Amino acid sequence: MNTTLSLCAAAIFLLAGTAALAQQVIVPEVERREVKLPKFPSKDIAVGLFAGTYATQNFGAAAVVGARLGYHITEDWFVEATLGQSKVSDEAFRQVLPGGIFTDPKEKLSYYEFSAGYNLLPGEVFPSAKRAKATAIYLVAGVGSTKFNQQRSQTIAFGLGGRLLLTERAAVQFDLRDHVFSLDLLGKRQSTHNLELTGGFTYYF
Amino acid sequence: MTLPRCLTALSCLLALAWPAHAQQPAATPSAGAAIVSEQLTVSDPFLEMRTGPGRGYPVLFVVARGQSVVVELRHTDWYKLRAEGGQLGWVHRRQLETTLTAAGSSKTFRDMALDDYLARRVQMGAAWGRFESEPMLKLYASYKLSDTLSVEGDLGQVQGVFSGTNFWHVALHSEPWSDQRLSPFFGVGVGQFKNFPNQSLVGATNTDAKLAHAIVGARYHLSERFVLRADWAIYTAFVSDQRSTEYRAVTAGVSFFF
Repeated sequence: MNTTLSLCAAAIFLLAGTAALAQQVIVPEVERREVKLPKFPSKDIAVGLFAGTYATQNFGAAAVVGARLGYHITEDWFVEATLGQSKVSDEAFRQVLPGGIFTDPKEKLSYYEFSAGYNLLPGEVFPSAKRAKATAIYLVAGVGSTKFNQQRSQTIAFGLGGRLLLTERAAVQFDLRDHVFSLDLLGKRQSTHNLELTGGFTYYF
Repeated sequence: MTLPRCLTALSCLLALAWPAHAQQPAATPSAGAAIVSEQLTVSDPFLEMRTGPGRGYPVLFVVARGQSVVVELRHTDWYKLRAEGGQLGWVHRRQLETTLTAAGSSKTFRDMALDDYLARRVQMGAAWGRFESEPMLKLYASYKLSDTLSVEGDLGQVQGVFSGTNFWHVALHSEPWSDQRLSPFFGVGVGQFKNFPNQSLVGATNTDAKLAHAIVGARYHLSERFVLRADWAIYTAFVSDQRSTEYRAVTAGVSFFF
C-alpha cells in the first residue's frame, strides 16, 4: 500500500516537473550586478604650519615655528602630532655670569609630541548677516620629547586651542600649551613649565 | 636636524594639495550629478540637515522620505548632503542607517561601520608605560595579513634621568580571536635600540645594540574606530657578543583603525 502511494507521488512530481519545464519559455539570464560601495570624499586629516612664541621657564621667550599633522576620529576626538623648533638664548645669564650657561649663546630647542584633543566647545561665529563659520575650542594633552642643549627629556604637554574654519577645508587656529619637562642645566634637576602660544593655518583633506 | 626638511616637505605638500582642492567646489555640482552611485534615496521618514558637522548645530532643512540626496563630503561621522533643491547640510551617519544607495545595495551605513572593524587592516596607535622603572612612549602601526596574523612596527623611546633610549622593532603578532571585542594577542620580534647618556654625565658612552622581544597583550574594541590595548613585553638586548641584558616593559594605549 505504502509503496504504491509513494510511487504515485513520485510520478506526479515527475509530471509536474516536465510541465514546468515545458511552460518555461524564457530562461532568465540574470546578470550579477556588481554593487560597489560608494567612496565619499572626506576631510578627516589635517596638516598645518604654525608660528608663535615659546617661553622657557629659565631662559626667556623666543620665536617658535612648527608643523602639525592631525586626524579627526570622531566629532569630539582627534589625535595630533606636532613638531616645533625654537632658538633659546641665555643672554640674561651672560650679563651676570661671564661664559653663560650654554656653550653657544643660542641653543636649539626642538620638540615633538603626540596628543589627543577633545572638541569641548563647538560652535559658530557670524562675521556678517549672511555668513556663519564653524569654530571649536578644544583641549589637548599629550606626551613627547624635547631636545634642548643636546639633552632629551620626556615631555608632557597640555593646553587648549581654538579653530575657525574659513572654508570647508581651511582653518586658522591658535594654541596655548604648557610643555612640562625636567632640566638639570642650572645645577639641580627640576621640572620646568614652558608655555607656548602659537597661531597657524591648517588644511583638511 | 630633520625638522626644517620636514617643514619644507609639508609646505610643498600643502602647496600641491591646495590648488587641487580649491578647484573642487566649482566642479562638484556637475560631477556629483554624474556619479549615480553617490545618489541616495531617503528611506527614513526624514533627514535633518544641520549647518555644521556636529550634534549642536541647528537644523536648517529637512529632507522627506523618497527624495534623493547627493553626498558631497564626509567629516568623521557626518555627511554633507545636497538635497534635490540644492540645499546643503550635514547629516549624522545614524540618520542614514536605512538609507539605501542608488545601486540598491542592502548595506546600511551602520553595517559599514561594523564591517570596518571586522575588515580592519591598518591600525595605528600610541602607548605609554614603564620600561623597568622608567617612562616609555611608543608608537605603533600594524597591518593585518590575515584574520589571525599581523605585522607591527614600533618606534619608541625611554626617557630616563641619566640616559635616554630610542628603539624600533618589527614583530609578528598572532591574534587568534581577532573578531572578538576583547582579543588577546602574542608576538615576537626583532629590532634595535640606541642608548645615549645625558650630556651632564661625564665619560659616558653611547650604546647601540640589537634587541629581540616577546609580547603578550590584549585589545578591546572600544567603539567606532577606537581600540584600547595593554601589553607586557620582555626585551633582550644583545649588548655585546658575550653579554645580553633583559628588560620588562608594560604599556597601555589607544589605537584607531582605517
